[in-house]
Amino acid sequence: MRLARAQARVVSYRVSWAQLAWFGHRLSGIGVLVYLFVHIVETSMVTLGPSVYDATLGLFRNLPVRLGEIVLMAALVYHSLNGLKVILLDFFPATTAWYRPLTYGVVIATAAAMVPLSILMLAPYAPW
Amino acid sequence: MSVGRTVWLGNPPARKPRPVGPGRERFWWWFMRLSGLALVVLALGHMLIMHVLVQLSGQEVSFAFVTSRWGTPFWRIYDALLLVLALVHGANGARVVITDLVPRGSVRTLLVSGLALLAAAWLLLGLFVVVFFNPDQAPAVGPFS
Repeated sequence: MRLARAQARVVSYRVSWAQLAWFGHRLSGIGVLVYLFVHIVETSMVTLGPSVYDATLGLFRNLPVRLGEIVLMAALVYHSLNGLKVILLDFFPATTAWYRPLTYGVVIATAAAMVPLSILMLAPYAPW
Repeated sequence: MSVGRTVWLGNPPARKPRPVGPGRERFWWWFMRLSGLALVVLALGHMLIMHVLVQLSGQEVSFAFVTSRWGTPFWRIYDALLLVLALVHGANGARVVITDLVPRGSVRTLLVSGLALLAAAWLLLGLFVVVFFNPDQAPAVGPFS
């Protein structure tokens, strides 16, 4: 209820899970696309030889970029799972009755997958 | 729910119907779903390999890593397929977002054609690298090396 009231201050109507899932799909998609443009330039540096390529990779080997890569991983996992949900709803319209549990499932599965993935991806930068 | 205006969140369209007649929109509808299915495997697999498995196996991504990886046709084909599908899927997704947010007119035309041009240029660059990369022909690093 408190969450609903806080949200009402941002937009003047009730935001549904459907809307958030839909917006999250677009946001994660655009995010991954922007990264893809950077990644293609980064990888094309390989044609300039070992020293240029390894120096380019060096730009990506630090904690802030690694945190960004974790966000990228989360965006990709969410976009994949939500995309599978969209395909399921498109080809099996009867599953629309399960829209809400499916949406919760996508969010919970993304969060669950990100726990071990974040730990593994952060491990090289961990203080221990 | 909706107050009949587009706010920053955008209004999720009342599920757009599947395009039935033959045409461009029907092609893209199918393309997004089929490429999406392939990308679940290709893109998630790529991230899992590069960010988890490489590290767990004690390797590190480097020039030598790419040389050895692209020494096998399998990984070249995998990466080329991932590149084409991800870029076209992403560019078309961005086109759908643009056409939802920008009304029909010259601004929309400019944005969509700019996006298409950008995607085509990056696609050519990426394909050129994946297909023609040859470690023996890596050029000198500077004019004096």
